[in-house]
Amino acid sequence: MKETEKKLLEMKNTSELMLDLAYSALLYYNHDIAEEVVELEDRIDYLYEDIQKASLNKFKETGNFDRALIFMKVADAIERIADAALDIADVVLRDIEIHPVLRQSLKESDTIMLKKPVHKGSLLDGKSLGQVNLASETGMWVVAIKRGNEWIYGPDENTVLMGGDIIFTRGPEDSIDTMNKWTSP
Amino acid sequence: MKRKRSIEKEIEEEHEEIKYEDTSVRELLTMMKDYSELITDLAYAAIVFENTDLADEVGHIESEMDKMMYLIRLKSMLSARTLEDAERLSGLLQVASAAEKISDAAEDMVGILNMDVDVRSILPHILKEADEKIHTLKILNDSDIAGRLIGELRIESFTGVRIVAIRRRNRWIYGPNGHSELASGDIIIVCGVDAGFEELKEVAHGRLSWNEVIS
Repeated sequence: MKETEKKLLEMKNTSELMLDLAYSALLYYNHDIAEEVVELEDRIDYLYEDIQKASLNKFKETGNFDRALIFMKVADAIERIADAALDIADVVLRDIEIHPVLRQSLKESDTIMLKKPVHKGSLLDGKSLGQVNLASETGMWVVAIKRGNEWIYGPDENTVLMGGDIIFTRGPEDSIDTMNKWTSP
Repeated sequence: MKRKRSIEKEIEEEHEEIKYEDTSVRELLTMMKDYSELITDLAYAAIVFENTDLADEVGHIESEMDKMMYLIRLKSMLSARTLEDAERLSGLLQVASAAEKISDAAEDMVGILNMDVDVRSILPHILKEADEKIHTLKILNDSDIAGRLIGELRIESFTGVRIVAIRRRNRWIYGPNGHSELASGDIIIVCGVDAGFEELKEVAHGRLSWNEVIS
């Protein structure tokens, strides 16, 4: 895949993660998760600008109008979705007291998003997702991994978890206990 | 008090076409949140499969969202009595308006299908590489999920894959909920991670039982 295509894809993946995180930050009134949304928005802005420039440059070179227009249109829509996620996270960050109705609405969803640090020496430390069969054993799917300042989106069964990673998982609420056990030292 | 009642009446009369009058703020917000998630899935699916039915549904949901946004705004304003009320409701409205913004973006995105540009050779192959991939899947006769409810199966919980739409004969069911039943012959549009999709495909084709998935 070409560089700009990869960037567009990263934008899409990032915006989806942001929205997931934003709704869960709101549900748990979690500042920490809301901050992640803000951080990811910076990445979105960078990618968006880059795609715009690259698309126009490419148009100058090749004269391919359709390609430039499509890339810019889609990137623009994704940027606005990410922006909306930021608006949601902003409610938490500005310490606006959550209306009880809001929490009830969010609760009606049947899956939740969880943020967990993987502790050194825990069951998951040093194991690949396939090795531990995380999804089928716990019902939780790893959506993204944060390692230092790096994000790994959509990890597969060969992705190895390391102590110090922060994992974002999605699944039924009754899986929380199992996840706690698996990530604790 | 009299004045207040007459305002409410006016609002009601002016917006008779909106069907959500009796819907509570909670229900409206739940719908808006669910729609904000569904509409992006539908938009990407419309682009990947270049399907105008799906694109039309995106447009339809977007206009429903506008109506709900309007109504939730009215209801919130009418229910604010104190500064504290107003503060909490402003947070709620901010979330509702974000959901509405997402539906706008989704509608603009499918707009490229009507722009007479070559979408096919550019976008689908990129979107097919996304973390959450979009596929179609046919539920065959031998599958043991045929005739069962999506909520009873808890498909998303067990496979990480959500059903975005169901094509049943000549009809579409968009954003099926837990009470929607799956039938043999259905073509379902799903969105989710690879591993879960492969598993669901085996089940839909009758090569794996649902019990084996959940055990």
